[in-house]
Amino acid sequence: MTSEVRIPDPLHPERTEEARLRAAAGLAPAPSTGGEYAGFESVGLPDRPPQTEREREVYTLDEGEMLVNIGPQHPSTHGVMRLVAKVRGEVVVDIDPVLGYLHRGIEKLCENATYTTVMTYVDPMDYLSSMHNEHAPAIAFEKLYGVKAPRRAEYIRALVVELNRVFSHGLMMGFQALDMGGLTPILYAFINRDEVVDLLASISGQRMLFNFFRVGGVNFDANDEFFSRLGTWRAGVLKTIEMNERILTDNEIFRGRTIGMGVLSGSEAMALGVTGPSLRASGVPFDVRKAHPYSIYSELEFEVITHTGGDVYARYLQRVAEIKQSIHLIDQIVDKMPHGPVQAQVPGIIRPKPGRAYAAVESPRGLYSVYAISDGGPNPYRFRMRDPSFVSLQAMPKLMPGRLIADTMAVMASFDPVMGGVDK
Amino acid sequence: MADLRRPRPAAKQLGRRRDLSAPAGALVRLLLDRFADLAPTVWTDEDTVEVRIDGERNVEVLARLRDDPELNFFMLADAAAVDYGPTEHFEVVYHLYSDLHPAWLRVRARVDRADPHLPTITGLWEGASFHEREMYDMMGIVFDGSRDLRRIYMSPDYRSFPQRKDFLLPDDAADSPAAGVDPLERPETWDLSRFVEAATSSEAES
Repeated sequence: MTSEVRIPDPLHPERTEEARLRAAAGLAPAPSTGGEYAGFESVGLPDRPPQTEREREVYTLDEGEMLVNIGPQHPSTHGVMRLVAKVRGEVVVDIDPVLGYLHRGIEKLCENATYTTVMTYVDPMDYLSSMHNEHAPAIAFEKLYGVKAPRRAEYIRALVVELNRVFSHGLMMGFQALDMGGLTPILYAFINRDEVVDLLASISGQRMLFNFFRVGGVNFDANDEFFSRLGTWRAGVLKTIEMNERILTDNEIFRGRTIGMGVLSGSEAMALGVTGPSLRASGVPFDVRKAHPYSIYSELEFEVITHTGGDVYARYLQRVAEIKQSIHLIDQIVDKMPHGPVQAQVPGIIRPKPGRAYAAVESPRGLYSVYAISDGGPNPYRFRMRDPSFVSLQAMPKLMPGRLIADTMAVMASFDPVMGGVDK
Repeated sequence: MADLRRPRPAAKQLGRRRDLSAPAGALVRLLLDRFADLAPTVWTDEDTVEVRIDGERNVEVLARLRDDPELNFFMLADAAAVDYGPTEHFEVVYHLYSDLHPAWLRVRARVDRADPHLPTITGLWEGASFHEREMYDMMGIVFDGSRDLRRIYMSPDYRSFPQRKDFLLPDDAADSPAAGVDPLERPETWDLSRFVEAATSSEAES
């Protein structure tokens, strides 16, 4: 018998020691698992006993059931993420989302960065709504430092944030179709997205990770050229959105696959912490812009849109309606745009007084909030971000049992999660 | 940049804040009335009301906040943990939303750092599960009664709690790495002594 060569495991020295002793005694190597998982290693079960009740429930297989890994490298997981689906034939029995493939420790990094440089770290969080990611920390730090952004800065903030929402929801329409096998809408969605992103690049200098918000204002003022480009974009934006609407909204196949699919009632959604368009599609009129008006939203006229279906189709319609609402808000903001400075007098390295601040904004995926604690030093003592798509993912194990595995991606796309934000 | 490293004020000074006259005065009075038996510390900010409680009572307090028709804090906006340093305590912070009051409600539950246990609130809001998994993963706070308390970001065999304040980033090495850190909380490092030994012995041979 040949002795097995093992690389010492720094995390589990006892395993290496056991292997050495077994080899010395002429025994076969120990099986890498024990108990309930013995013999199942080949199908992707974890090589350890279940840690929790829920894990035991998902990973214990009955007769006729098997596990299917969707991801981590899968075109429809909106990033790097794994859904472990327990299936019986084609019917999903249970789902376990496995996260962490994209974890970068952004909170910890922010706690070691100055207040200004935090803005660069939060950008790649939820990379389809970078402006929203920057908005919440900006508000929280202004509360901590006791400074207010000038009115023009607040208007420019609201403007870029709503522009960001337009392309984020527009992309959701495309991805919703893409995940169900329709290729055309995503192409139209990216035409729209590219136009908005060019527009945002002309004001912030960046196409994706904008780094535009500052404590006490914004980085650049909006000039005449920006407004003229905005006007050109405004004249044509509804065309690309409507092209997608014409393909999807009355499409018989699309309706057939989405109506009644993944129905989430209002109370369920609230208990699960689902927020944003997905919650409003279940009939709950919760919108942070109305519930706790921040920035200048108390000066704008708009109603909270809701749908009652609570299914994938309602969540899709909700996004379409909110795109038009955002364009309506952009019109108002441009009309009311005041003149003046865009940045308050703030030193480069700020040291707020000890204290704590909470700020929440309505991101395209829901309630995005920041809880920052200052201890008087140049960097936040604690910087906590609540990402809406992280919480929304908990709806998947609730909605999928009894449904076909092919519909998993349709339901997941309807929550529009972005893994950069989920994994932080 | 030397100025950036000036000593921080002790964590005890955190939370000392003037009691501002806030629009949420009615909520403060209501809270003091409803929770007279707990004698909570209530603070106000421009749009936040803060209640400090003992960690053990979190389920009871949150249930009362949610179910009281006049309070009606039906939505859990956020649940997060804060580490106040190796010699201090943990805090689990809940942010709640109610459609009746113009303020966020922040409930700060104090947790002992040596024995960080807390009852789970997944019975009140199912969606707190991921938040609690994250707090366990990042801070090592254990939520008793949770059905699914396992790591969520780090791999299952990871053994540190990266967001604790005594877990230092590699470029913080100047701040006395791992001084007084419990073995369980020590950042994972490769034991290099073996290689050093091998290198010195091969030198001796040649």
